[in-house]
Amino acid sequence: MVAMSQGLDQDVLVVKDLRVVFHTYAGEVKALDGVDLTVRRKEVLGLVGESGSGKSVTALTIEGLLPQNGEVVSGQIILAGNDLLKESSADLRISRVTDMAMVFQDPTTYLNPVLTVGSQITEIIESEAKLFTKQVIADRLIELDRLEGEGRITPVLEKERAKLKSLSSGAKISKREFKRLSRLYAINILRQVRLPEPERIFKDYPFELSGGMKQRAMIAMALVRRPKLFLADEITTALDVTVQAQILKLLTELREQIDTSVILITHDLAIVAEVCDRVAVMYAGNIVEVADVNELFRNPLHPYTKGLLASIPRPDLKEQEMKSIRGSVPNLIFPPSGCRFHPRCDFAFERCPLEKPKLLEVSKGHFVACFLYEGGQA
Amino acid sequence: MVLVLFLLSLLIFYLTRGLLPASSAISQYITPKMNSIAKLQLAQSLGVATKSCPNFTAFSDSQAGCVVPLWGQYVGWLHNVLTGNWGYTLLPGISGTETTLTVFFQRFPLTAELAIAGAGLTILIGIPLGIVSATHNNKLPDHLSRIVSLGGYSIPQFWFGAMLQILLVLYIRVGGLGLFPANGAFATICAICIPNPGTATAYTGAPLFDGILSGNPAYTWDALVALALPAITLAITSIGALTRIVRSSMVDALKQDYILLARSKGLRGRVVIYRHALRNALLPAVTIAGLLAAFLLGGAIVIEIVFTWPGVGSASLAAANSLDINFLELYVLVTALIIVLTNLVVDILYAKLDPRIRY
Amino acid sequence: MKTEPGPPSRSADLRYALHRFRQNPLIIAGSVISIGTILIAIFANVIVNPKLGRSTDLDLRLCWNNPALNWHITNVFNCGGTVYPLGTDTYGRSVLSMIILAIPLDLQIALEVVISAVVIGVFFGAIAAYAGGVIDEVILRITDIFLAVPAILLAIVLLVILGRSFSILTFAIVITWWPTYVRLIRSQVLGEKEKPYVEGLRAMGAGRVRILFRHVVPNSIYPVFVQATLDIGSVILTVSALTFLGFSPSPLIPELGNLANAGSTYIFTAPWLIIFSGVTILVISLGFNLLGDGIRDVFDPRLRR
Repeated sequence: MVAMSQGLDQDVLVVKDLRVVFHTYAGEVKALDGVDLTVRRKEVLGLVGESGSGKSVTALTIEGLLPQNGEVVSGQIILAGNDLLKESSADLRISRVTDMAMVFQDPTTYLNPVLTVGSQITEIIESEAKLFTKQVIADRLIELDRLEGEGRITPVLEKERAKLKSLSSGAKISKREFKRLSRLYAINILRQVRLPEPERIFKDYPFELSGGMKQRAMIAMALVRRPKLFLADEITTALDVTVQAQILKLLTELREQIDTSVILITHDLAIVAEVCDRVAVMYAGNIVEVADVNELFRNPLHPYTKGLLASIPRPDLKEQEMKSIRGSVPNLIFPPSGCRFHPRCDFAFERCPLEKPKLLEVSKGHFVACFLYEGGQA
Repeated sequence: MVLVLFLLSLLIFYLTRGLLPASSAISQYITPKMNSIAKLQLAQSLGVATKSCPNFTAFSDSQAGCVVPLWGQYVGWLHNVLTGNWGYTLLPGISGTETTLTVFFQRFPLTAELAIAGAGLTILIGIPLGIVSATHNNKLPDHLSRIVSLGGYSIPQFWFGAMLQILLVLYIRVGGLGLFPANGAFATICAICIPNPGTATAYTGAPLFDGILSGNPAYTWDALVALALPAITLAITSIGALTRIVRSSMVDALKQDYILLARSKGLRGRVVIYRHALRNALLPAVTIAGLLAAFLLGGAIVIEIVFTWPGVGSASLAAANSLDINFLELYVLVTALIIVLTNLVVDILYAKLDPRIRY
Repeated sequence: MKTEPGPPSRSADLRYALHRFRQNPLIIAGSVISIGTILIAIFANVIVNPKLGRSTDLDLRLCWNNPALNWHITNVFNCGGTVYPLGTDTYGRSVLSMIILAIPLDLQIALEVVISAVVIGVFFGAIAAYAGGVIDEVILRITDIFLAVPAILLAIVLLVILGRSFSILTFAIVITWWPTYVRLIRSQVLGEKEKPYVEGLRAMGAGRVRILFRHVVPNSIYPVFVQATLDIGSVILTVSALTFLGFSPSPLIPELGNLANAGSTYIFTAPWLIIFSGVTILVISLGFNLLGDGIRDVFDPRLRR
């Protein structure tokens, strides 16, 4: 593991100049063309953009789960001080257990239909038993302390507590005991994601749960690892609006309880406004604007961002034409030259097709990749 | 299930008794010494001629009132059979004093040994080969196993058996003896056989299992050596079929979304393949188990002929040629019973493996 | 990966299919072998004089004089005179010629069997699936009966009863083969009939039979087509297994299993007879299996890109 000392101590994730290409029969798809991204501790970063802008590809690249025809051409992904792109696959696998966790869009297809929900959680714990032993014991001790506080402790439980205390100071734990504790730990996590009757759900199969419950279960699978980085890829897109709200509320609560950062990938600006601290806007494989959420909505700088915000229908303003950004998403096998947005941009000028604008800080915390703001003007 | 067996017995009965003149049913049992009265008595005892038939000529001319109608014949047969009377069999080499049941169950364990060995090889080779093929998709191990599986699927079994015999009995010889024995279910004369293996108590009637149960390793070895070539020949085609199915359903399973989630959880590669993908991939493979059972039992007939294996398959060929109805019916029904039971077990297994199915 | 602008055009589909076609060595090999087999079958009577099938020369039986291959068997009878590339059979006829004459016979039987089985199986299976209810149950039970017996066994019984001609042979194999197609088309139609376009056709007043056979079946036919191609190979294996067991009209007839049967008695003294007839069966069935596999690979809609 190569430790890098770049970036502030507060930055959980630093992505620098990430370029990813997909080799397909139709040609080379230049999906990510120099993506720069930073995620700070305990923040929720929204990653917005249309379909095909590269949001999911970015997340998958961070996790190291690109399909076989994908290739990382260049760049760095520094998570908690380690460049993930330089790690061996064994170390990368461990990183997936301890440092980052991803939750996907459609819980129906992402949960294995022939395994119980509970076993899909405990398999994580049991796969790296050594890493989880402390956590699992500590969690049970907390539970037992809580029961004592409620006056519900029995002699049997007292014995258990004493035994666990001795274990946590280094004694060896038997496999059976570990399985039992993992099971209790998993049920606790299910409770934390606000699933009713977690003991029953532990034994259920995915098809017995509703969409919202399955999504919570998937979040539980991420939560159990206490990751430093949480990647949420369109996690509410497949759900009803009311369930959406519940999941988002859960997410913000969890962010308070554990020390984690979240990359929230979505195409829905309303969600971003609700939940995120900062927002990064992505277009055709590049980050085009990054700002605090309020700043972005109040003062969008990039023409694409402006177009996005303008195209949100406003029910309060009567008789308005629906605005849209002219043109369509570019073909990434033959992307536009220079700034990839220039064919659709109302403010494009001579420089735009020639050079690629870099992401520069225009005001405090507000970054834009557009020549309009690069010391020059239209 | 019982319905299927019942209808099947009807079908075979109709084919063997209904499509030919009545006299052919008894022609195998007629010895030169029989006079006309004896022949008529024989026909009556077999339930083909009526009691009121005047003489044998009337019967063989199929005159009205002389031949028991087919339904009557079937009911008579069914009654006999259900009371355990399967009659006497006249297979070549048997004097006609052995009951069908005796001969059948003498030979059945040998066919069972062959079929079980074939099934075992199929599963032990087919499934891992399919998994390797899928996990190394489009790389060398995949290409090799596809050649093996496609080749196995296309091989004529009798030819493959012959080739094995030519190679390992004719050409590869040690000390004047072929490496493997050419025929039979038990061999003491071959290069790797043990000449004096001793005896084994006939617990099951099948040499291999008898040898194991009697605790006689030399005997077991000789039985194993004799079993090797026929079992491989029997299994080669179903290995090909099973590998293909396992490969394609594994490839499908590995493309699923839940595999991506499993990998993102940091699970080890082997866990992802065996716990997540294989569990799902085996479901379609399990459904063909019934077909495989049918194939193995049918293929046994050819194998038993090629290797002179004294099982029930080679006997059934002789029975078919001599229209030995009792033997044929017994053979067909036992085979069908096994296949139907296999399908039943498979259905139960499938319901256990796939939690989405509830009966 | 959603970067294709718009749906691919029809001609792009075809071009892509051809591209994969060329890329896939299996389907190329399979096509070459299958087409080669068919050509040999068509021109067999031109390549080899068919009368050779009936002329026997017992002085030349089971001889070998091809210097390219030495069997290392004592007492191999040398033919002398013209070289027989693959030796002679039990009647003194050239094994190579007999094999060439046998190919059209086997291929013809296989095609007849497959086509008949497909037609019958598709007919009943489509009806069973579309009509549902009692009809479905009855047809299913009937297929259960046939599937509970090993195919070879049923065919043997039929051949013994009805006689040993090639027509009976064809009939016997068709009887055992059609249930597979019933099951196959039934599961396809069951899925297909739930699709919205079927409801639309009903709303337009189309009759059920018409919908079934002019719309649903053609859409469900693809896996049947793949299976049929694969089955040509399997049927040839079954036919030759049955003739190997002795169920051909006459031992003289040049037919691959027949030749193998004759050869099986002489397996250690004149192995070329059984070896080369068996190899031919292997190659032909391999060709059609490769072709069927290749077609499935290339045209499988799920394997796009």
